Amino acid sequence: MRFDSYHPAINFIYFTTVIACTFWFNHPVFLAISFACAFAYSVKLRGIKGLVFNLCLIPLIGLYAWWYSYYNHFGVTNLRVNFAGNYITLESVAAGFAVGVAAAAGIMWFSCVFTVISSDKVVYLLGRISPKLSLFFSILLRMFPRIGRRFTKLNVSRKGIGHGAAQGRICEKILNLIKILSSLVSWTIEEFIESSVSMKNRGYSLKGRTSFSIYRFDNRDRSLVVIMFACMTVTMMAVMLDQTRMIYDPELIMYRITPVSVGFYVVYGFLLLLPGILQTMDEMKFRRNLKNTVDKM
Amino acid sequence: MAHFEIKNLTFSYPGAERKPVLDNVSLTVREGEYITVCGKSGSGKTTLLRNLKSVLAPHGKISGEILFKGQFLSEVDLRTQSSKIGYVMQNPDSQIVTDKVWHELAFGLESLGMDQKTIRLRVAEMASYFGIQGWFHRDVAELSGGQKQLLNLASIMAMQPEVLILDEPTSQLDPIAAGDFLNTVKKINLELGTTVIITEHRLEDIFHASDKVVVLEKGSIIACDSPKKVGDFLRGENNDMFTAMPAPVQIYYGVKDKLATETECPLTVREGRNWLSEIFDGREIKDSEVTEEEFGEIGVPAISVREAWFRYEKKSPDVLKGVSLGVQKGSFHAIVGGNGTGKSTLLKSVCNICKPYRGNILIDGKSIGKYKDGELFKNNLAMLPQDAQSIFVKKTVREDLLEMIEKKDDSDKEIARVSAMCDIEELLDSHPYDLSGGEQQRAALAKVLLTNPRVLLMDEPTKGMDNFFKKKFASILRALKDDGVTILMVSHDVEFCAAYTDMISMFFDGGIITTNTPNRFFCENSFYTTAANRMSRHIFKNAINNEDVTELCRRNL
Repeated sequence: MRFDSYHPAINFIYFTTVIACTFWFNHPVFLAISFACAFAYSVKLRGIKGLVFNLCLIPLIGLYAWWYSYYNHFGVTNLRVNFAGNYITLESVAAGFAVGVAAAAGIMWFSCVFTVISSDKVVYLLGRISPKLSLFFSILLRMFPRIGRRFTKLNVSRKGIGHGAAQGRICEKILNLIKILSSLVSWTIEEFIESSVSMKNRGYSLKGRTSFSIYRFDNRDRSLVVIMFACMTVTMMAVMLDQTRMIYDPELIMYRITPVSVGFYVVYGFLLLLPGILQTMDEMKFRRNLKNTVDKM
Repeated sequence: MAHFEIKNLTFSYPGAERKPVLDNVSLTVREGEYITVCGKSGSGKTTLLRNLKSVLAPHGKISGEILFKGQFLSEVDLRTQSSKIGYVMQNPDSQIVTDKVWHELAFGLESLGMDQKTIRLRVAEMASYFGIQGWFHRDVAELSGGQKQLLNLASIMAMQPEVLILDEPTSQLDPIAAGDFLNTVKKINLELGTTVIITEHRLEDIFHASDKVVVLEKGSIIACDSPKKVGDFLRGENNDMFTAMPAPVQIYYGVKDKLATETECPLTVREGRNWLSEIFDGREIKDSEVTEEEFGEIGVPAISVREAWFRYEKKSPDVLKGVSLGVQKGSFHAIVGGNGTGKSTLLKSVCNICKPYRGNILIDGKSIGKYKDGELFKNNLAMLPQDAQSIFVKKTVREDLLEMIEKKDDSDKEIARVSAMCDIEELLDSHPYDLSGGEQQRAALAKVLLTNPRVLLMDEPTKGMDNFFKKKFASILRALKDDGVTILMVSHDVEFCAAYTDMISMFFDGGIITTNTPNRFFCENSFYTTAANRMSRHIFKNAINNEDVTELCRRNL
């Protein structure tokens, strides 16, 4: 029911667009929309953990604006003079806030990306570029945790004869650790050889390798692509009409907000809320169906 | 038609041309046959198998011919070889390539360049046939050893091979997983007609099912015949490999000369049971018990665990739930029980790697917490880990042994002592990773013994050892015991425990259920017991070893 039930390509295009827009647009309304949507969606995905994380980000925005205005002194509206004798201007505070909000929203979007896009989706996406690249990535993904587990195993074995990494005097501890690490290296090399033999055994060196995936691109994905691209086109129009950016230096200047710009805001907000809306709709429908089934039984 | 025809194959590794690993080997493998290749470690089994697939063939000097379906193997193209000759290797973990189960299943098909649709169907088919659906989406790291090896088999079978070659596929698995795996191989052979060539040290599971058994010795085939005839031949030759034969075969030949009429040699427990009933039909059993040695309680136990509780993480379930155990000084004590029940954890608690949050562990009457770290592992306690390879850190066995010795002046003497004891003198200059499973186990034992332990802990020491090696290993342990060393072992190997230990405990659900002498212990069980006991329990009271049954049969005939 979550956004990750869609095809990885859709997840990828969506998040790339959203994060790019967040960092590119510095118009306060667009920033606010992105911030609010990222906040809502990450809480929806990650629950109380996400909420706490997001709330922690808010004071950081203020802190960043304060720091930014202390070191940047452009602008024409002086607010006050700091201890070093430099002007603190309204323009620099505003610009600091804009960058801070964009960064916070970006971080929140990334937290959603990490929840939704799993490693095998990345492997799949790389496989579209080159089957060998995706295989390489998949091998790496397996290798790192394996080396970690092997280290624990070696350490336990060595502990059993009094040579663990935490046993003995300090110099002995260091020596023991070095020995374990060197044995870890030779083990890793040995494993590499073994698995390359296993790869050859299953025809790795043959020409014309394909890349298999368990994902399918179905009609639901197609309809989502249409909606997404419609929203993106409208947003692009906003970009071309200079609706998404404003000038902070030397003066705060932005285009007038017209009914058309309100339309842009609505479409942009809709695009950003799309995954959350889809998930909520699915969940509601599921609950209703469940209730009906239970009632009938 | 013959699948493989091997004619006068001789093979030697570079630098050792005088001592060929394979010497004039000729063998014909017909389509759909199930062939077991057996032999002591180092007899050239793996070299023979690897030569049957070009990409795996080791470098060296080769003469003779290998034909695959009437064509020279070297002329069969890579694509045909990759898909038609399936090869499953020994180590379940290192032959897995990718990180997901589904991806692993598809790997070979991707190599063959198949399209999405075909791969999807094949993968689905394999997952269903091998019962993998339940863990199809999992990370391979989450699988057990048995599941990993089944996955390796399934991903080879996905390429639809005509011949399946397996090189000691179950040497790293516990007996239950090993049995399941071998049954699946048998099923493939019966249902799909795939030719199977397998090497195994657990002959009891496959001996009876093989069409042909090939016995290799020092690189030559000394026997190649039906299982019954091979048993007869090995007995006649008084060959070491006879110890690897299944229990019914060994018992049969132990009493054969006493039999009045010639009977057929039994291969399975069922056949053995019927055979015993037959020969004792109408006879009165005068003597149905073997005398057992009592192991009396003397003084302070070497290890005593008092209601120990342990869990790995704060919120995880308890692994040890109030275990109590006493191990007598100078005894050989075994703990048996299912997989993942916490046996190894108990062992780790005894050597202070896992610290129980409740209860106490006493070593020699003194609480383990009161020993200083250095004190505990010097001349006192040592553990031989399950994966013997994991305690080696140097380039040669000798250097690895040197590492354990503090006083360097008498190091040569010490090394000579332990290497003579563990019979590894010839291996001292090899790299520890190059040794076979059994050799590694002995070298690791030598290393552990250099701490002069009074208490020796062992985790599954007989895993991957053939019967001949086990005998050797048992004699080392016996010598240690004579020196007064207390041995506590965790094992799945019921036959080994029955033959050599003084006491056996059953571990289940975080605790010790029962502790008894091997005879009494196994006679109370009807599933978890030795093959000899299962085939003779309806006639004899407490026979648990092949020797016991042979002895009782002879006394009553």
